Amino acid sequence: MGFANNLVEGLDPRSKIISFLSIILCMVLTPITRLKDFGLYFLLILAIAFIAKITPRQILKRMFVLIPFILFIAIFIPFIKEGNVYWSIKIGYWQLRVTYEGVWTFLNLIIKSVLSIILLVIASATTTFPDFLQGMEMLRTPRLLVILMSFMYRYIFVLLDEAKRLMRARALRYFGSRYSEQFRIIGYMIGILFIRTFERAKRIYSAMIIRGFTGEIRSIKRFQFSYIDFLFITGIIISLLFIVSGIVYKLEHMKINNAHLWQAL
Amino acid sequence: MASIIKVSNLNYRYPDGTVGLKDVSFEAEEGETLVIIGANGTGKSTLFMNLTGILEGDGHINIAGLTLNKIQVKEIRRKVGMVFQNPDDQLFCPTVMDDVSFGPLNLGWDNNEVMAASQKALALVDMEGYESRTSYHLSFGEKKRAAIATVLSMDPKILLFDEPTSGLDPRSTSKFINILYTLKSQGKTILIVTHDIFLAQGIADKVLVFSEEKRPVAIGSYKEILSNYGLLLKNNLVHQHHHGQIVYEHEHRRGYIHERL
Repeated sequence: MGFANNLVEGLDPRSKIISFLSIILCMVLTPITRLKDFGLYFLLILAIAFIAKITPRQILKRMFVLIPFILFIAIFIPFIKEGNVYWSIKIGYWQLRVTYEGVWTFLNLIIKSVLSIILLVIASATTTFPDFLQGMEMLRTPRLLVILMSFMYRYIFVLLDEAKRLMRARALRYFGSRYSEQFRIIGYMIGILFIRTFERAKRIYSAMIIRGFTGEIRSIKRFQFSYIDFLFITGIIISLLFIVSGIVYKLEHMKINNAHLWQAL
Repeated sequence: MASIIKVSNLNYRYPDGTVGLKDVSFEAEEGETLVIIGANGTGKSTLFMNLTGILEGDGHINIAGLTLNKIQVKEIRRKVGMVFQNPDDQLFCPTVMDDVSFGPLNLGWDNNEVMAASQKALALVDMEGYESRTSYHLSFGEKKRAAIATVLSMDPKILLFDEPTSGLDPRSTSKFINILYTLKSQGKTILIVTHDIFLAQGIADKVLVFSEEKRPVAIGSYKEILSNYGLLLKNNLVHQHHHGQIVYEHEHRRGYIHERL
């Protein structure tokens, strides 16, 4: 990994997986009412992005692909969730109500998702998918799952191309028909795609066993857990401990009561 | 020279009962290039699957002094490398280097050996610098060459090529033929399955003709086989129309493939 452009890219994938999963876990378990903690999580993630030399523009560009999906799911929650009414309006027969509980659930979903997506963007920008898979395998993730993910990554576009070719073949001979007829054709296409995928899988397996495959995916790349990895993980864990222990609130409390720092800690 | 491949009375039936191979017998000598020609569906690819132990037919197969059976199949696969017709079936790893090093790693070589063998194989197929490229993003010709490298990196004694030039443009075909010459000069035993009879010119030491009855019907030098128009016509390797004869004679007279090389 000597050719890495930045510190985070040069890290062992295991240290990135452990660190990022720890951050996500802590964020998920933190109650949304502790908004200041989320501010600290955001600062921590920004610091990682800074070390990884990822610009806010790059993050925003990738984030905006995923955000609409989350917004689409979350936007209805304040109106659906039962609870104390915060705001309501009557439109004809309809009574629209926004509840406190709904707003908090909405914020919970949006804030945690956005922060997780930023982390995902940093992870994908600093780790190639094959390295990520190797890291997963080295962390004792079930081998079958890793192999499945590897094949999905390799063949998803081949399958999409195959599906596109089928769609084109249909479009060239399609001149309009009843809906029931169209569904029948789509059913055939899905069936054909399944059979072709199955046949391809058989051929790939043949190609693998001819080259000595015995169930274990080996790689020429060897990752070494260096002291930088150790420092990175330690830094992240210490930061998380500070956030989870409620350091912001304790400092605030100390300020109010004019107490010493050691008393706050 | 001693026979490195010996196939006797090989029969194969697919699970649905379709005949795949019928009483196939032939021999190939060490360092020889044997081109197996036949029309579509004559069992050529099925033969290769039997030679590598992927399919199990009835009969006797001996490769490099080893009888093909469940015990020796792994040892045989160390000596036989097969390049599939569709390179997408052979390139299943995320990057070219991962694919090329897959075989040597499974053979238990150490990292330095694997690296050296992979680099050498990539150089042989003129694909240096493609190591970290994603297989999916390669052109078809590049995929074919990468697929060859995945087998060459294991340094097998015997190489099986299934329809190696199908879908290739003339330049890529020419590149492939150059690779074959290099391998031939290294003393590899090469078996090529094709329905392109002109590919055999200049490469084949022997040509084996498969009939539509899924069995070999003739074996001889390229000249002997190509001069037998009746045999080629009967086995659907040239076609009956007048222009087929013209093309056949034209190619034959001009030595088109030879000139192209």
